[in-house]
Amino acid sequence: MSKKLIFPILATILFLNGCKPEDAFDGPDLEDIYGPFFVSELLTISDESIDLASGESTRFNAKFSKNLNWKLEIIGLSSGARHVHEEFSSIMDYNWNGATSILPMFRQESCEVRLTFENQLDTLRDTLAVQSIRPLQGFVLSDFESGVNPDWDPFIQSGSNMSFTVRSNGQAAQGNNYYDMGGTVTWDWLIGLLDIPASAYNVEHFPLSNNPSDVYFNTMIYKPAAYDNGLTLIQFREDDNGDGNYTSGQEDLWAFEISGGSDGWSTISKRYSDIVTLVNGSETAPIGNGLHEPDKIVKVSILFLANPASGYSQAYLDYITFTTGGPLQP
Amino acid sequence: MKINYIALVVSVLLIETTAMGQQETRKITFTGAARAQFYSDYYQSQNEEDTITVPKLNSGNTLVDLGVIMRPNPQMEIQGMVRVRNDYGGFWGAGVSFDVRQLYVKGVAGGIVRYQLGDINYKLTPYTLWNTQQELISNTPFSFQQQTDVVNYDHFYNNDNSWRQQGASAEMAFEFGKWIREIEIKTVATRLKTTDFSQTNDRIFSGFHLGLVQSEHLRFGFNYTNVFDIYGTSRSMATFHHPVMTVTMNYYRKVGSWLHTLEGEAGRSNWYYKQEQDDSIPDWQGKFADAKYKLRHSDNGLYGSVQVKYVSSDFRSIGAQTKRVNFNGSLSAFQRVGNAQVLRPITMVDLMRESGLYPTQLQTNLMAFAPQYDNITPYGEATPNRQASIIKVGYENKKSPLSASVTYYRGQEVRGEGTTTLRGFERYEVDASFNAGRFISADDKDASVQIRVRNDRTSRPGTESVPGINLSSRTLTAGMDFEFKKQWHLIGAFQLLTYTGFELKSIKDFNDEIYNFSELNLEGSEQLASAGFKYSFSDKAFLSVQYYKFFNNNNELDEALFTDKQWMLLYQINF
Repeated sequence: MSKKLIFPILATILFLNGCKPEDAFDGPDLEDIYGPFFVSELLTISDESIDLASGESTRFNAKFSKNLNWKLEIIGLSSGARHVHEEFSSIMDYNWNGATSILPMFRQESCEVRLTFENQLDTLRDTLAVQSIRPLQGFVLSDFESGVNPDWDPFIQSGSNMSFTVRSNGQAAQGNNYYDMGGTVTWDWLIGLLDIPASAYNVEHFPLSNNPSDVYFNTMIYKPAAYDNGLTLIQFREDDNGDGNYTSGQEDLWAFEISGGSDGWSTISKRYSDIVTLVNGSETAPIGNGLHEPDKIVKVSILFLANPASGYSQAYLDYITFTTGGPLQP
Repeated sequence: MKINYIALVVSVLLIETTAMGQQETRKITFTGAARAQFYSDYYQSQNEEDTITVPKLNSGNTLVDLGVIMRPNPQMEIQGMVRVRNDYGGFWGAGVSFDVRQLYVKGVAGGIVRYQLGDINYKLTPYTLWNTQQELISNTPFSFQQQTDVVNYDHFYNNDNSWRQQGASAEMAFEFGKWIREIEIKTVATRLKTTDFSQTNDRIFSGFHLGLVQSEHLRFGFNYTNVFDIYGTSRSMATFHHPVMTVTMNYYRKVGSWLHTLEGEAGRSNWYYKQEQDDSIPDWQGKFADAKYKLRHSDNGLYGSVQVKYVSSDFRSIGAQTKRVNFNGSLSAFQRVGNAQVLRPITMVDLMRESGLYPTQLQTNLMAFAPQYDNITPYGEATPNRQASIIKVGYENKKSPLSASVTYYRGQEVRGEGTTTLRGFERYEVDASFNAGRFISADDKDASVQIRVRNDRTSRPGTESVPGINLSSRTLTAGMDFEFKKQWHLIGAFQLLTYTGFELKSIKDFNDEIYNFSELNLEGSEQLASAGFKYSFSDKAFLSVQYYKFFNNNNELDEALFTDKQWMLLYQINF
């Protein structure tokens, strides 16, 4: 074969190889945009009576004629709790373990199941029953179901309309009870506080991992629509020197603030390694050894504050817990 | 292998620059250009009584580009050029601007390395660094081309397809005794972006060419370009990287009166961000191959070529795919029109004169394009997602006043968009010109007629639910230049674009990923006609007065139905 022909032959082979049609394509499937929509397999629920306390879950299945955005909502008919799952697919195969997207958490109640589709009128509906609530997660400081721990050390200013108390009126984020913090203090930012020592749980230090990236502090907090002036300060005192006590000005005091946010209940989760030292709300250098050591926490303090000139302020607390490996999944 | 001789550099260079040649050259030379341009526009809506838009607009400017070339020694040349511009209507200095237009130092180091620092014009290959001409208004008759030339000159768009960059380049060559005749090495590095000390890193373009000349018949090349961010020049943790690597081959052989040429280029590209936390940013890895066989008869003027090419959907080469026209740019003349003051769509007239549509910097992402103007090769030879065969046959002979060519392009996508069914592309183009000057006059006066017809068609079969694509556009261009009296020219031109059909245009995100499609029901036309006179003072200076009438119509927008009448006065001199 002539050497002169080598390049043209190679080029032709290369080109013909390139001419092979590709199975994949770029962008969204046009059939999903233009194709007709219908439900080819109706919604089914594997377990319509689910016992969350024992770790049960239930599976939702359905099939559609094309890929599209669909939204599954599970709504507690008594609590108003919501779980929302959205996906772009033509096959629904989704497992629900009782998790809540919008607080309060699911209680023992009947739930409506609703499946809707983007740009389609169709809505599929069903019901299921929650037989028991989800088990508590992590090292729980309190869910207030048994009131305030008697070994906590609360301080409440002598202002007006003070309401540092446990309430049970159907508004709890989890279970039946929550802690109501409110009042008017005209001479000080502090309205009231809860000191939660490790000794309240019969331990010297809270039983947490020594890896600060693995430990999360979580709480559920409620902001009333009528009051925007509340500020919740969470403090963590460490026993850096191992003497069993926190020494002010010598050992680490980590803190973070919660303010603003949307009305109603929300879950606040903070990774312990992300918490800083605050002085008057501003980040500052650590006081002690500068190491985040969750296994050396001796006291957690929850301070409810407001500008003295701003009048009455209020917030609710529920389900205060340390979790390991990730934030609280309500 | 014995190296007989090193340092070929570069008698061609010496002639080219005229600065470092054997002949005696002046130490200081003045160079530059001057231009006066005036437009008088009249806009008229055809669809409604537009009581908002001011219909008449006068604009223009006078400018001088004044350059000084200094040659402190025979091996060095320094050029600085300033632009002084005065917009008509400026008063007591208002509207006057002074800019540094170009600045460079070049020369030969040690008699071996040719270098240039500062502003440089550089190109490599059509798939690595190549400034592709703008669609629709390139290679048009002089009546239109004179406006395009002004835009091209202002933006440093040269006929050699080079990009104007700021940086440094170096070239050298080695000559050998046998087996290999010559090895040439070219390098270039330019800065595309400067850091803002926040989220934008310094971005560098670098290029390298290694050429191997085996003989007068055969040469090979290796080309490498890389666009990359310099980590640490901003707070951004992500750095952009975009290497492109190609190999080229050229083979020439004359058999009888026929010159056979075989050209080929193939390569790969990569486009990615590094150290980026967000894993949604894709890593585009593409490839291409292009082979072309050309044949030309040295006596009778016949020539032809056959080209086959494959450019994968993921092939990216911003040095070759950056477009001259930014179709997302804003207009300065009649930017908003109609009683609703909607944005006026870009038309072929705007491509000829709107300076704001033309970027000068390489763009990281594929730029927007207008399917009605060019849906087949919007990014030039390096247009991704194309596999095609192109056949061209032509005739050009100095002894004949007639020259003509016919080009046929047939191709399809490599990977479908939204479906595995591929778009098909078809184009045929006929160019013909008749230069009768030498044949009708002993004075060698200009007398030429030029005509071009181009038909483009894009198609893709639909399904029961997905509409098919069928977009066609036709362009007819004609022009004449008649020197009716020594140095006095009567010139005129006409261009008609019609387009009709349906196309699904892909909508891409910042990372060039298609996330949706937009339906384009295109039906419209653009007509531009011009007539006027040109007086040529010399080869380097002319005065032109032209009248243009433009008509635009499309079904997308009521306000797009309008006419634009324009007088233009252009005086141009290069020195």
